[in-house]
Amino acid sequence: MASFCFSQNYTISGYIKDKSNGESAIGANVYVKEGMKGVSTNVYGFFSLTLPQGKYTFVCSYLGYISYTDTINLTQNISKTVSLEPESRNLNEVEVIAEKQDENIQNTQMGTIQMDINQIKKLPAFMGEVDILKSIQLIPGVKSAGDGNSGFYVRGGGPDQNLILLDEATVYNAAHLLGFFSIFNGDALNNVTLIKGGMPAQYGGRLSSVLDISMKEGNSQKLQVDGGIGIIASRLTIQGPIKKDKASFIISGRRTYIDLLAKPYFKYGNPKSDFAGTSYYFFDLNAKLNWQISEKDRLYLSGYFGRDVFSFKDTDAGFSAKVPWGNSTACLRWNHLFSSKLFSNASLVFTNYDFSFTAGQSDFELTLFSGIRDWNAKYDFVYIPNPRHNIKAGLNYIFHRFTPSNVSAKQGETNFDMGEIVRLYSHDAAAYISDDWEVTSWLKVNGGLRFSYFAQVGPFTRYVKNEFGKTTDTVNYNPGKKIVDYNGLEPRLSLRFGLSKSLSIKGSYTHNFQYIHLASISSVSLPTDVWMPCTELIKPQVGNQYALGIFKNFKQNMYESSIEVYYKTMENQIDYKEGAEPQDNVFDNPDNAFTFGTGTAYGAEFFFKKRTGKFTGWIGYTLSWTWRQFPKINYGQEYLAKYDRRHDASLVLTYDHNKKWNFGLVFVYGTGNRGTLQNALFAYEGDISFDYGLRNSYKFPDYHRLDLSTTFTPDREKKLQKKRQRLENRYERKGKDKSLIKVPKAWNKNYQGSWTLSVFNAYNRYNPYLIYYETSGDLMKGTFKVKGKQVTLFPILPTITWNFKF
Amino acid sequence: MKNKILHSYLKLKDIFLSFFMLITISSCQRDIDIKLPDYQEKLVVEASIETGQTAVVLLSITAPFFGSTDFSDPTKYFVKGAFVTVSDGNQTDTLVEAVPGTGYLYVGKKVFGHVGGNYLLSIKVNDKSYSSLTSILNPIALDSAYFKGEKDSLGYCWGHLTEPAGQGNNYRWFAKRITKDLFYAAPFNSAFDDKFIDGKSFEFSYERPPQPNQQQANEDDPDAGYYKIGDTIIVKFCTIGNNEYLFWRSYYANKASNGNPFSAPSNLQSTISGDNVIGAFCGYSPSFDTVIVKKAP
Repeated sequence: MASFCFSQNYTISGYIKDKSNGESAIGANVYVKEGMKGVSTNVYGFFSLTLPQGKYTFVCSYLGYISYTDTINLTQNISKTVSLEPESRNLNEVEVIAEKQDENIQNTQMGTIQMDINQIKKLPAFMGEVDILKSIQLIPGVKSAGDGNSGFYVRGGGPDQNLILLDEATVYNAAHLLGFFSIFNGDALNNVTLIKGGMPAQYGGRLSSVLDISMKEGNSQKLQVDGGIGIIASRLTIQGPIKKDKASFIISGRRTYIDLLAKPYFKYGNPKSDFAGTSYYFFDLNAKLNWQISEKDRLYLSGYFGRDVFSFKDTDAGFSAKVPWGNSTACLRWNHLFSSKLFSNASLVFTNYDFSFTAGQSDFELTLFSGIRDWNAKYDFVYIPNPRHNIKAGLNYIFHRFTPSNVSAKQGETNFDMGEIVRLYSHDAAAYISDDWEVTSWLKVNGGLRFSYFAQVGPFTRYVKNEFGKTTDTVNYNPGKKIVDYNGLEPRLSLRFGLSKSLSIKGSYTHNFQYIHLASISSVSLPTDVWMPCTELIKPQVGNQYALGIFKNFKQNMYESSIEVYYKTMENQIDYKEGAEPQDNVFDNPDNAFTFGTGTAYGAEFFFKKRTGKFTGWIGYTLSWTWRQFPKINYGQEYLAKYDRRHDASLVLTYDHNKKWNFGLVFVYGTGNRGTLQNALFAYEGDISFDYGLRNSYKFPDYHRLDLSTTFTPDREKKLQKKRQRLENRYERKGKDKSLIKVPKAWNKNYQGSWTLSVFNAYNRYNPYLIYYETSGDLMKGTFKVKGKQVTLFPILPTITWNFKF
Repeated sequence: MKNKILHSYLKLKDIFLSFFMLITISSCQRDIDIKLPDYQEKLVVEASIETGQTAVVLLSITAPFFGSTDFSDPTKYFVKGAFVTVSDGNQTDTLVEAVPGTGYLYVGKKVFGHVGGNYLLSIKVNDKSYSSLTSILNPIALDSAYFKGEKDSLGYCWGHLTEPAGQGNNYRWFAKRITKDLFYAAPFNSAFDDKFIDGKSFEFSYERPPQPNQQQANEDDPDAGYYKIGDTIIVKFCTIGNNEYLFWRSYYANKASNGNPFSAPSNLQSTISGDNVIGAFCGYSPSFDTVIVKKAP
């Protein structure tokens, strides 16, 4: 290639879309064969490639699509929209492998995994519900919190250290009641990216990871309806153009039925008890509108609304409980192209999360509630002067209103005075700049700096305590008055050393602040889990993560492999003081119930993936340690975190047998979580009491599980052909003219149905969910006996779902 | 206006905890062999002194859950030959084994509790020393105590209290039926402070507690937890100190957390200083009320 020292540079920019429905292709590769200079599309499908004047072979490629090739004559700026054709299934091993699918080798991002939604949908799903949160737990470095819990832990960080974004709106609690299911409806999603290390500067506010989820935009070509009916839930998605190619919408809903969770009560309860009125259901609703105003401007309006409604009644005991729970988010975004090199996005976001628990006994009613409400504005810029630089900068501002655990009570018509509702208000702001810079052909650097600021403001009342813990004074702050603030710089650095086309070494260092904390009394998601912002007593969490990895692809990017090691320190970690109880919050500042310490995590992650062909999948293994050290817990001695899991392995396989059949398999293995069990008993006041051992000194039995699934898609083409043939035969027999055949409209519709059968926990492993002791007899009489018992949440669970699409 | 907030709150808290426990108890239960990683034997001290009585101290040791634990002979866990004294600042009382040679129960002879007294407990066992300090505060009496029927002839025992204004009062409720019960016993969550009820006038109830060491018999009792017509109940309503209240609160939280994954593991907040010791020395200041449960006229 001749060098053009003094020639003009021009930019070819635009959008890459899916031809069948107009959805943006996120992370697609756009490059020119001459010199293999290229870029990737951003989350809106936008790319910008600046090159010296000349003729080029322009290629767009994206996994799952047929590559697009064209010749361009770059003598001026070109604006181009490319629609990629999805490749049909049933290609054999040596297929058209898109060139330059070596993103994991070339880019500086380490610890970033982009999940393929279509692949996730082929995996066995718990109770037939495709669950993004469960799927990411199959990636090394990401651990599940156990059965019945949608929380996840990334590289030894707590469940509150993951930033979960749905179309840029923060999701505080991504799981429905008790954590069996996440709030994400797989049918509405377009892209899921997990960043577990080397967090770039445009993200902040959490120490451990970012789970960036974007919703589909809505088929801009034609009306499309997808849905499914399963044993415990049904889903329906309707999308289509409002104006073809210009504006489209998507609405997606899901609702469950009572069954699954009501069953245990009926089994356990006193047969005489009347359980009428016990019911549980949840629903999710995702909606999005997008409008391409002009070549340079695009507007998106998206929202999520979900509610869990649970009610429990035991009329015999006169007891009833209600747990209304819900998340709602709304986001308005405006993409604006200032030029072919400068892309911007402005967003306005509203997030609300409520959790309340009401229990009633006769005419007395007690309610515990907590929640968060955020108003958020952000402005992000992407500037691509040439293929060697990708500069990002932006501003982010959030106003938080936290409602940590509050209590209200009433008897009949009388409300009791439990004090005013405690709310905490704060400003949360950040500014960042970063550059992804190709210094030389073998060295690429992503350097970024983020500045973050957090302030707690009034109205607020601080209860000043004396050394006995009794309130001696109250300090009142007026609305808007600053009580305390924190700020700091967060440098982020990632390096990539390209040793060859298929081999690279990457390293990263990130420094993060986190200004909000989740304190859980127990290991299960409950109303007592409280999101708390920084206050005078609660300092920001500080995280430092160092990571190093080696990445190698084989057989022209058919296989990906990597080994990554990390070391992470976390300061100002929060936990409840020993002996803390929920009612301590009343007439008191909730932050008095907490104690603070540090965390250390380190480990190695091994990953091997086959990306293309009939068989695809991956195997991952993580070896890791997670320690905590709190002066006021466990006598100040270091102890393993409850989610410390020494070995964690996953095997994921999907097999596309043919157009009709595909199969999925998931196998997970993990050493048991840690817990604190009673290890001794003693007599006190004529009864038996238990003494706990050292914090988290007990290791639960190992967890392992196999899930299997298969999807059968009947061949509609063949069926229609047969039907048509029969109709023709009938006409012939009756001596009618075949050309008069009127084909029913329904036959021509692009309808497709399929059946999915899946089995969760195929070999019925009794994984322990909790362990307790069962006692009988009297100690003093010498008849005392004690037995250890374990409870398993999910035995073997087969399920069948019918999916449809037209 | 009757303010039941405190007691009902406590009751609901139990319901709240057991409610979530209910959710997770499915048919999938199994016995499991638990290998416990660490066990350290601890001394258990159950000590008290009340107005007009000498100190009573029960000394035992903890037993590990599994392994070679045999509960057929509980006397293996009694502590014998301990040197136990209680001093009120003027005299020192050396407690003696109630049944010589058996250990476990040590009683005083010389130092009697009185309102305003401060008492220092000192224990020496196997060359190790332990101590604790308590006081007997001013008694605060209930306005009245009475029975209220719940269903059939069964019901709970109620108390009506006008709580004196000024934060810092803590209480514990004991009750016994004359002739039917030998000992005063305290029901679940029998200790409370005045955080919500300071200066308020309200009523509250407690169920009938099981007698000490009668847990199994209590489970077999069809009227467990209830008082009934024909009972005569003596309520012993005591004031206790702050550390002692925190101990009892942790005691009941510990009991509630057995097998409950929804509560934090909490050990007892002992008031005894020394290594590897569990328990409290509690000074009680009682006021008595008698409740005769009659048939409604």
